[in-house]
Amino acid sequence: MGAVAEVTYLEAIRSAMADAMRDDERVFLMGEDVGHFGGPFGVSKGLLEEFGGERVIDTPIAEEGFVGAAFGAAWMGERPIAELQFADFISCAFDSIVTVGAKTHWRSGIKLPVVIRSPFGGGVRGGPFHASCPEGFFIGTAGLKVVCPGSVEDAYGLLRSAIEDDDPVLYFEHKALYRRLRAEAPDSSLRTPLGRAHIARTGSDVTVVAYGAMVDIALRAAVELDGEASLEVLDLRTVWPLDEAAILESLARTSRVCVLQEASSSIGAAGAVLSLIAREGFELLDAPPVLVGAPISPVPFAPELEDAYIPSVERVVEELRRLGAY
Amino acid sequence: MHTDRSAGPAIPCEDAADVTREDRLALFRLVLLHRLIEERVGLLYRQGRISGSVYTGRGQEAVGAAAGYALGPDDVCAPLNRELACHLARGVTTAEAFRNFLGKGDSPTQGRDGNMHFGAPEHGVFPLVSMLGDLCPVIVGAALAFKRRREPRVALTFWGDGAMSTGDVHEGLNLAAVLKVPAVFVLQSNGWAYSTPTTRQMMNTCMADRVEGGWGIPAARVDGSDAVATLVALRGAIERARSGEGPQAVEAVSLRLDGHAAHDDGSYMDQAQQSEYAEQRDPIERLAERLRLDGLTDSEVEALRAAAAGEVASGLEAAEASPAPDPATILDGVYATKLT
Repeated sequence: MGAVAEVTYLEAIRSAMADAMRDDERVFLMGEDVGHFGGPFGVSKGLLEEFGGERVIDTPIAEEGFVGAAFGAAWMGERPIAELQFADFISCAFDSIVTVGAKTHWRSGIKLPVVIRSPFGGGVRGGPFHASCPEGFFIGTAGLKVVCPGSVEDAYGLLRSAIEDDDPVLYFEHKALYRRLRAEAPDSSLRTPLGRAHIARTGSDVTVVAYGAMVDIALRAAVELDGEASLEVLDLRTVWPLDEAAILESLARTSRVCVLQEASSSIGAAGAVLSLIAREGFELLDAPPVLVGAPISPVPFAPELEDAYIPSVERVVEELRRLGAY
Repeated sequence: MHTDRSAGPAIPCEDAADVTREDRLALFRLVLLHRLIEERVGLLYRQGRISGSVYTGRGQEAVGAAAGYALGPDDVCAPLNRELACHLARGVTTAEAFRNFLGKGDSPTQGRDGNMHFGAPEHGVFPLVSMLGDLCPVIVGAALAFKRRREPRVALTFWGDGAMSTGDVHEGLNLAAVLKVPAVFVLQSNGWAYSTPTTRQMMNTCMADRVEGGWGIPAARVDGSDAVATLVALRGAIERARSGEGPQAVEAVSLRLDGHAAHDDGSYMDQAQQSEYAEQRDPIERLAERLRLDGLTDSEVEALRAAAAGEVASGLEAAEASPAPDPATILDGVYATKLT
């Protein structure tokens, strides 16, 4: 029996782009240093060679400019992927995303199928400008879809679905997972549905709602607590709009919930999830919900600080023990 | 507006040989419709029948008219807030325009946005966003699509002395130049960015100079009150872009005759300069003078004015009969593909 081909999270993203570009002439990639350099993390390595300079376009340093241009190309029927080097730089493109991207279909019926890919999150000593989790800026914004893959499979499947979707999709890929996660190479037919959470682990005592790199942290916490508490890990995958039914259904099974995110506890998806639970899930609860997130500060650089900043397995386990004891 | 039949003091538009009689008549209709719709809109606003605010392009009608008229049938554009005539040139009707101002349920935005803040996808018109400058990169992207597909099409947008100061304009112009896309930029130099004069927006007030020298994009400068001259300049720019020469720019110099918006009486503007422009360089009267010199009789010119007024009146009548928007539809279309 031959060995199963394994790929990293990063390779899954690259294959999703390449497969989409092979399948559909309308798909192209634009961003800073995505061409011969292959992007700062090497995600687009090899794409220029296969698809040429008209489909893998190096742009000037102008996030607002090339994201706006992606919307213009999409208006004309293309399906562009715009890559930001780091998710932190999405602030530079914010205006175009929320002004043009989010409101145009509602105002005019013009579809803008653009995927904006950006590496987010910490763990690589990126500091205040290369390690943020800015997805919370967009959660709640009508007209946008926001996805954060937490597995190799979803890195591929969510990107294929995002490219095929007719709305602007912000695709936040976690840079610490690029080479940490490995799994069987996803089949090119795989599509992860947008707007659908996924039970990454079934359990009966507590639901941990997580996304991005925190899915892995939650799964590791579940192993730590094995025999002590049965954790259900719900991977949101799409953080906006939320899969409300999946959250409430899991809560109905467990009656206890911990919302775990890498973003500061004041932003990210947590507020939306907890609002839903307060409004629709109150009677399902046996204990007050727990929120585990980063401190409300920018992401620090020094290893001692960043390690203390990002929610760890140990911290999650501790919080879950407290929740279990309530 | 001048309604007397005798020749006025307006300087006639230039007599460009390749701007035909048909072109001149078409432009006259467009500038008239623009002026008359906005005059009526102003009245409706003061009567409380239009909510929010209203923005006009009085004094600048020729620019949007010439740009919209110069484009080919498959070209696309993004008019901003002084370019109602561009919408009309692309095929938007007077009724559709009024419906949007009135916030009607069957308006181009279904009552979701007002003013000339609407698109017309069927005519290749992208809807204005109030963050002026944002549509510069959008138009560059549309032009990039044409270039990628080897389609002989052009994408055009406008902005003024105000948006010229935004980063979006710089990023878009630079991207257009580097990618060498068939985009055309029309720079409306009307002297003002809201209440701040152009001289306090930029040290070099010649936008054509800045665009050509700064971004390497060929830029012409034209008298934006002369519809014929503006059409000639725009046709040249559009055809150069279409033939693969890369992005082009035209700076149209005019004067904003109204304040920024309905709440702004423009009393801070130089009244002598305003009056002189209104008398000598009103784009409608300049074109009327040209038509007279071309041999139209006063009564023929008057008949054209009356025809435009009739088109505006019937458009308003149709729009007023339109239904109000239904609050139950607010969520429709937030997403093209709704996630259930």
